[in-house]
Amino acid sequence: MSDSCSETVRFMKLAIDQANLAMDALEVPVGCVIVDDGKVISSGRNRTTDTRNATRHAEMEAIDVLVEQWHKNGVSTSEVAEKFSNCTLYVTCEPCIMCASALSILGIKEVFYGCSNDKFGGCGSILSLHQSTSTVSPNNTQVPLGKAFKCTGGIMASEAVLLLRTFYEQGNPNAPKPHRPVAVACRE
Amino acid sequence: MMNNQLSTCEIVYIPEKEPHDLHNQPTEFVFASAIDPKHANHIVRRLNQIAPLEHLRHVKRIHKKVLEGGQVELSVMLCLASEGDNQLDTVPPALQELISSFQLSPFITKVCKYAASSKEEWQEQCKIWPTSYHPRTYNIDGITGFSDENAESIFKFMQSAIELATSDDLIVNAAVIVDPSAKQIISSARDQVFAWSTNKENSSSDLISNKFATNESFQVNESNNHLKQPYTGVACLYPWQWAKQQLHSHGSYYCHPLRHAAMVAVESSAARDRYLFPSEQNTGEKYIELDHENPSSASSPAKRQKTVCTTVENDDQSKARSQTSNQLSERPYLCTGYDIYLVWEPCTMCAMALVHQRIRRIFYAFPNPNAGALGSVHRLQGEKSLNHHYAVFRVLLPEEAFHKCHTDEVPETKETCVC
Repeated sequence: MSDSCSETVRFMKLAIDQANLAMDALEVPVGCVIVDDGKVISSGRNRTTDTRNATRHAEMEAIDVLVEQWHKNGVSTSEVAEKFSNCTLYVTCEPCIMCASALSILGIKEVFYGCSNDKFGGCGSILSLHQSTSTVSPNNTQVPLGKAFKCTGGIMASEAVLLLRTFYEQGNPNAPKPHRPVAVACRE
Repeated sequence: MMNNQLSTCEIVYIPEKEPHDLHNQPTEFVFASAIDPKHANHIVRRLNQIAPLEHLRHVKRIHKKVLEGGQVELSVMLCLASEGDNQLDTVPPALQELISSFQLSPFITKVCKYAASSKEEWQEQCKIWPTSYHPRTYNIDGITGFSDENAESIFKFMQSAIELATSDDLIVNAAVIVDPSAKQIISSARDQVFAWSTNKENSSSDLISNKFATNESFQVNESNNHLKQPYTGVACLYPWQWAKQQLHSHGSYYCHPLRHAAMVAVESSAARDRYLFPSEQNTGEKYIELDHENPSSASSPAKRQKTVCTTVENDDQSKARSQTSNQLSERPYLCTGYDIYLVWEPCTMCAMALVHQRIRRIFYAFPNPNAGALGSVHRLQGEKSLNHHYAVFRVLLPEEAFHKCHTDEVPETKETCVC
C-alpha cells in the first residue's frame, strides 16, 4: 500500500513539474503524465495561450504525443485501444468536462488528480463522466453512455492549488480583461 | 426558390434547461407564519441574518394576501421543512427565539424550488407563493427569433455543413465556424477520426472512404425529421466506436479517436488566428493591445456579452472593410462572436471544447441521442458553473436540402460569402 502510495506521489510530482513548465511559459499551470506499467510514456502541459486554442489542455497534449508516436510505430487501431486501457493519467487538476469525456472515449484505465475543479470538473465536480451510465434505446437495448475509469482526487492538492493561485494572483496576462470577475459573477 | 425552402426551414431554440411542466413545477416544503405587518421589516431583516436560504433567493420572503374587505394578511417564509415533519425541533435556536418573541404560529407550505425561466412559469409560481423573475440579462441574437434575412443565411451555412458531411462516400459529422457579422466562413472540417495523415495545419485531410464505404444515403424520414440510417461514421454519435475498428496503421493512414469535426474546426480557426495575427514579442504589449480592442469590456458577464453584440452591429455597419485585414484591432479573442454549424448535435467532449473556445451560437441539424451534450444526454448550455454560455439552436431542414446534396446539384451561393 505504502509502495503504491509513494509511487502515486512520485508520478504526481512529475505532473507538477509539467505544471511548472506551463507557469514559466505564462500558461495556466496544469500538467500531467501518462504512465503505463510503471513507466512514464508521455507528458503534457497546458498550451492554450500559445496555440490560441483553448482546448489544448495538458491531457490533450499528452494524448496527442502518444497517438502520434503509436502511429509512427505502425500500431493498429485495436492495439491503440488496448494500450490506452492500460494507461494511468496523473494530472494536477481534475480533468475538465472535455478532457474527462476524451479520457472516456479513449478508454483510459485510471486517473489520479490533484485539486478539484469546481467550475469545469468532469470527474465529479460538475459532471461525473468517469462513471459509466447507460440508457435504454428506443428498441429496448441498453446503450452504454461511455466507458468508466477509476478516479482518485486530492493527490498533492495543496501544491496544485498553490500553483494556480500564484498564477492568478500575478494576473493572467493573456486572459481577456475581466477573466476572474466574470468567473465569479457567472456563478451567481 | 430560396423563399420556398425558407418556409419549411425552422430554427428552434434549445433552452438552458428542460422546460418544466408549467402547472407541475418542482416545489419544496418550508415553514411559514402569518405576521403582523408592523413587524414585517424587522422580522425579514432578522431572518436574512439567521436563515438566509441562499438556494431559494428567487422566493420572496413575504406573501401578501388581500382579504375580503381590503384587509391585508402577511405571511413570512421562515426556513426549510421536510414533508410530514411538523416539529419545530430542527429549527435553529436563533429562529426559535424569533418565533417565540413575536408569538408566531408556523405552518408548513410549499414554494417553487427553481427560479422561473419564463414569464409563464413565474406567473404559475406566484399562485403558490410569490417569487421574483429576472429575465436573462443578456440576449444572444436569435433567442427571441430570427429575421428572414438571418434565417436565410443560417440555412445556407447549415447547408454547407451538410454538403461537407456528405462530400464523401462515408457520411461523417461536419463543422463550419462562421463569423456572422461578415457572413464569412472562418474554418470548416469533417470528422478526422480515420484519416490520411497530412500536415496538421492543413485541415483538408482526406478521409479513408473505401474502407468504410457503406450504402448509406442521407435520408430523412419525412414525417418527423428523424434520420433513418444509423450513420456509424459520425464520430459524435458513436464516440467509443473507434476502438472496434480492425485497421492497421501503415504508411500515411492515421487514426485519432478525438479528432471530431468540431475539435478540428476549432484547431483550424486557432491556426488561422495565429497566421493572420502573429503574436507580439512582448506579452505586456499584447495585453495592452487586447485591452484596446475591447475598450468597453466590463466585469459582468451581461455587459461583456453586450460588448460582443455591439461589435457585431458595428461590423454590420461597416461592411466595406476588408475581412482579412492584418490589423490587430480586429483580432478576435478565440471564437468570441462566432457561430458553429454542426450536422449532428455534438458529444460532451466537443460541446465543452466549444465552451472553452467561446463560441457564441451553435446550430445543429440532427439530435444525438447516444451522446449529445446540448439537451439529449447532457445540457451544457445550462451548466451555471461554466464561465461561458452559448445559445443553442436546432435547424429543422426541409427535405430539399438533402436531395440537393445527393444529386450533387450546386446550391445557390451567390449571397453567401464563402472564402
